[in-house]
Amino acid sequence: MSITAQINEMLQKGKAKDVKALVNQALEEGITAKEILNDGLISGMVEIGDKFKENKVYVPEVLIAARAMNQGVAILKPYLTKEGVEPVGKAVICTVKGDLHDIGKNLVKMMMEGVGIECIDLGVDADGDKIVAAVKESGAKVVCLSALLTTTMVNQGEIIEALKAAGLRDKVKVMVGGAPVTQKFADEIGADAYTSDAASAAEVALSFFKN
Amino acid sequence: MTDRENLISLVRRKGYERMPFEFSMTPDLADRFEKYCKETGYVPPVRAFADIPWSGVKEPRDDAFWKKQYSHDFKGGTTFNQYGVANEPGSAACFHMTRMYHPLEEMTELSELKAYPYPEYIEGPTPEQIAAVEQAHKAGRFAMGNMQCTIWETAWYARSMEMLMMDMMSESELANFVLDKVTANSMINAVNFAKAGADGIYLGDDIGMQSSIMMSKELYGTYIKPRLKAIIDAAKAINPELVVFYHSCGYVTPFIEDLIEAGVDVLNPIQPESMNFEEIHKEYGDRISFCGTLGTQTLMPFGTPKEIRETVFHYLDMVGRKGGLLICPTHILEPEVPVENVVAYIEACKEYCEKF
Repeated sequence: MSITAQINEMLQKGKAKDVKALVNQALEEGITAKEILNDGLISGMVEIGDKFKENKVYVPEVLIAARAMNQGVAILKPYLTKEGVEPVGKAVICTVKGDLHDIGKNLVKMMMEGVGIECIDLGVDADGDKIVAAVKESGAKVVCLSALLTTTMVNQGEIIEALKAAGLRDKVKVMVGGAPVTQKFADEIGADAYTSDAASAAEVALSFFKN
Repeated sequence: MTDRENLISLVRRKGYERMPFEFSMTPDLADRFEKYCKETGYVPPVRAFADIPWSGVKEPRDDAFWKKQYSHDFKGGTTFNQYGVANEPGSAACFHMTRMYHPLEEMTELSELKAYPYPEYIEGPTPEQIAAVEQAHKAGRFAMGNMQCTIWETAWYARSMEMLMMDMMSESELANFVLDKVTANSMINAVNFAKAGADGIYLGDDIGMQSSIMMSKELYGTYIKPRLKAIIDAAKAINPELVVFYHSCGYVTPFIEDLIEAGVDVLNPIQPESMNFEEIHKEYGDRISFCGTLGTQTLMPFGTPKEIRETVFHYLDMVGRKGGLLICPTHILEPEVPVENVVAYIEACKEYCEKF
């Protein structure tokens, strides 16, 4: 088994110590940081994401895999900078105004980072102004809006209106999610995508960057 | 039958005379509902459960004590629970909702977790608990010991969900320590309720997400189910007739068999957005009863009074005269629920039972 395949396997098991050791070993063997990232860490997270979508693994397995990924990426960071490796794309992510629930949003962020997307995390209770400012500053091409409650999901629509008013609507893809959110609701408020789970969110975001 | 006898007969699937009412409202809706009642003379129904106060705690601590457990300040209006979990108010847009802070989140060593000042419950029911049960029974009401967030939720509120899940996956010593601390207190609470003479205890931990379970059955079976069963066994050892309600939001169909094995008698809330009540009732309806089924993500905020009436009639027809379903909203009713829909639910239940 190649060393990147071993990294993939250990990441999926959430074995952070093994992932770190293998990443260091791979660097010593002269494998590029880009290859370790793509063929080891990201491929492992993509596989975990697929298993999550199919209910073969659950949130705890994803969390320990993401922790292993982060520790591996931390080692690679200076090498990635030296090699000039850029993230796949940038996304602004938040829980919308009026809502303080962030577990789902954090899970989406983990999955997005797992496929190589840089996330600008605005936390919870984020309003249109804050999101517009973050999009302008970062140049993010994707905006991900989370809401847990029927009370707050309407604010996803308000934020889309704020993006329109700021002249940014055509420059970003807006993705929505959260327990009460449906495809029908996403269509009504004019979002570009609705996904029902974190792994699908990462997959759809990736498709926006690739197209 | 008294309300108490009626409720017990309903959840034991031995028939019922009228539908008990169980619903709660967020402050914004509660104010509008109260105004509606004043203006129209509408008399809201008495709740199904008479709540019994919680057990006593050795050395109760005040907010100033808990604030010292954190390295940052909190906004005014922040409250702390018995474990020192902080709930800080959000912006005006957040209504009643608060942001939670977890005092054990940053800890990495077992010694740190051991050094934390956990609350310790006092064994034996308090005079207030005994008096509350007597008062409920005198009024013919069902005395309920509500102790939701029984194990998993109280533990992760203290530790943070991410940390506790990761502990369960790779640091079992840390997970077991926190879960045992919470379980010991919940066990005392459940036994005290039973000794005080309560008719039921209301347990609960959210173990479902919108469309999948929150953790694998294996992880649940290792860490949560044995602790839940131990609590129920201890309470039922005092009173074998104790009715055990259990709440979990979301999709929990794969856990129903586990919950029955643990000793749960009534499952709440069967979110229609997440679970198919017809199928669940067919599969498990002769072994467990249900409470809920009126969706608070769909029907209650966005349905019409007519749709609410039809849904109430449909589900009550389905379960039949023996009962087994305390029909009610699946969760607290949020600000966007029209008052007319709350009234529609109440009136539909009354109207359905008039024909008996």
